[in-house]
Amino acid sequence: MNIGRAGIATAAACLLAISACSSGTQPTEAISAPQAAIDAAKASALEVAGGKEIGGKVTMLGVLGGPELDAFNAVLAPFEEATGIDVQYEGTRDFAAILQTRVNGGNPPDMVSTPAIGEVSALAAKGDLENLRDVIGDDVLNANFSKSLLDTGSLNGELFGIFDQVNLGGLVWYDPKTYKGPTNPASWDELQQWARSEESAGTSPWCVGLESGAASGWPAADFIDEILLRQAGPEFHERWRNGQEPWTSQDVKTAFETYGATVAGKMAYGGTTTVLSTNFAKAANPMFTSPPGCYLNQQATFMGGIIMDSFPDLKAGTDLDFFPVPDFNPQFPGIRSISGEIIGVLTTTPQSAALAKYFATPEAATLIAATGRWLSPNTNVKPDAYADPFLKKASQVLADAKATQPLGNSLMAQTEVDAFWKAALDYTKNPDQLDAILANVESAK
Amino acid sequence: MIAQRVQLVVLAVAAIVVVAYLYLRLGDKAIQALPQAWGRRLTPYLFTGPAIVVLGMALVIPAGMTIVLSFFSADSSHFVGLDNYVATLSDAVTRIALRNTVLWVLLLPTGAVLVGLTIAVLTDRLRYGALIKAALFLPIAISAVAAGVIWTFMYDYQPAGAAQTGTLNALITTIPGVAPHAWIVDETTNNYALIASTLWTQAGFAMVIFAAALRSIPDELYEAARLDGASEWNVFRHITLPLLGPTVLVVATTMTIVALKAFDMIYVMTNGQYGTDVLSTVMYRFLFTAKDNGTAGAVATILMIAVIPVMIFNLRQYRRDSVESRDA
Repeated sequence: MNIGRAGIATAAACLLAISACSSGTQPTEAISAPQAAIDAAKASALEVAGGKEIGGKVTMLGVLGGPELDAFNAVLAPFEEATGIDVQYEGTRDFAAILQTRVNGGNPPDMVSTPAIGEVSALAAKGDLENLRDVIGDDVLNANFSKSLLDTGSLNGELFGIFDQVNLGGLVWYDPKTYKGPTNPASWDELQQWARSEESAGTSPWCVGLESGAASGWPAADFIDEILLRQAGPEFHERWRNGQEPWTSQDVKTAFETYGATVAGKMAYGGTTTVLSTNFAKAANPMFTSPPGCYLNQQATFMGGIIMDSFPDLKAGTDLDFFPVPDFNPQFPGIRSISGEIIGVLTTTPQSAALAKYFATPEAATLIAATGRWLSPNTNVKPDAYADPFLKKASQVLADAKATQPLGNSLMAQTEVDAFWKAALDYTKNPDQLDAILANVESAK
Repeated sequence: MIAQRVQLVVLAVAAIVVVAYLYLRLGDKAIQALPQAWGRRLTPYLFTGPAIVVLGMALVIPAGMTIVLSFFSADSSHFVGLDNYVATLSDAVTRIALRNTVLWVLLLPTGAVLVGLTIAVLTDRLRYGALIKAALFLPIAISAVAAGVIWTFMYDYQPAGAAQTGTLNALITTIPGVAPHAWIVDETTNNYALIASTLWTQAGFAMVIFAAALRSIPDELYEAARLDGASEWNVFRHITLPLLGPTVLVVATTMTIVALKAFDMIYVMTNGQYGTDVLSTVMYRFLFTAKDNGTAGAVATILMIAVIPVMIFNLRQYRRDSVESRDA
């Protein structure tokens, strides 16, 4: 799950409203990259297009809109300028339905860009997607992407998608001025020990908010997903997300209970009723009251921007900072979870092939980093490509990771994801009914 | 771009007018050419024909398709008989949805009649009554999704001791010793909270209907009653209420249909979490997340069957009213 998925759900609500939630698409100054970086991107765009302006157009279906789309267009601009190819990006919140309709109707877009990896994987299983190993080439892919990311976009040995942007999950956001606990805890237990002592001293350590409209519950589901990955290990996690391990297994139960310990009793600000009633974007707000209502908020990279939007006076680093969630199990150290958007090709034309290759270049990835919105999955992006201090730090965490794995719920079918979100809410509300709740998800699978 | 669209719209409107004119003109000519007995018989069909075609395409065929699909598997590939119906009705979520739908059908019409009638009667003879009516009528112009967002703010919950940002909790916590309440999370209140916010958007409609009906009651009746020394309550009880009977039925049946259709407010405010599902949210989930045409069709059919008695009742009432007014 990432914020894009949450957006899909909220915007689905927009579709029902009489007034359409429109989003402007004027490309603006959405990027803070030095001219040299833009020129380099143009040069490599020309190179992947075979050294000449080939012109024509490529259609792309995605989910972005508003300022996010502006940022994405800014990454595309050097490509369009250098190659003369017109990239026609169609952003929709109803991605899966529109893609399905267009594929069935014999009018598929040339390319897709989406966080719903599970949906694209289902299309790939039907043979609707091109193998990017043929389009881009193994050398380029292996030189720019980690094996685990390529594996995530693969099905039966064929690469159906490469990540163009990622969010790093499992960060603990805190206010350095008020938080007195460990900022580099060796283990989850050490952090929770501090949290429990804080709870018995009378202040709730954790700031948690699970409300997110029709997608409510995803923040807890993402955290449980992350805990499972790092507690039971990547191999179990992979079997679990592929449906080979039941939801009722002991490891999944332990992951739920580990999350549960952060919201039980007075561990979370206001207790479970507040946790369930609070929107995820406002979860960290009590951190900045005087005295603070809570100290720690577990969330992905994008939370920094959300908090800074609510409190524009904060200074990154001195008033707000993060550390990665420590290891849950010494057997599986240094594992990080990511979610993100992948690019896939449905129809190979010289134009779509050039654009796919462009996204695999470090130069395009550098521009993704320069938008200040996303981390780049490209291993050749230099840390100084990030203008945003939080992203720069997060890119370092990602670079230091022993292994990176996608969150399971970005790969599952939507029915199972919905059941997962609901289970996260139900468990938060009724922790004593975990067995029944997990049996429910298992039957929805 | 805009100019192109305007052009297209103008063209489309012109085309519709021309086609409609030609249809009627040529159709009329054709009927006149027929023997008179035939012409008489065919003329009604000439005029109702287009409406019947549109109705058939937009309503009858989709409804029929839905019923047919409800007997087929999730991807509509093979016939499964009544399996979808058995599956939905034995599903715990659907049963909660059925219970809630009944709750909606009982409470929303009752609430709308009570609130609408009360306000209409109380403001009928007030000088600034129009102002109050306008205020109560305004919410009907707000889309259900926007209203859902507004009421999410109204019901907002902050823990006891913190500043209450939700209007309702800010109000109740001014009473000493009263703790804030999580209206849409707590299962004892959430369904009522959702119904109340829908009532807010619908009460204005009920009130306007009642206000219009009140105006149509002849003043002589009131004068006669007052001359006979009837109290205000008796005037209301024995003159206003009986004469408003048909209007109460119209409002109640309309609101019953609103209650059966309830979806957007719930989708925005709780998405059916915490036991607030109704049949339409269950149907939506089967169709759009589970991509199960069969079960979604079954739920839709159940919903359709539930509406039929109300519709028949409404039609009967309408027919009786029109017969009465014709006789009068």
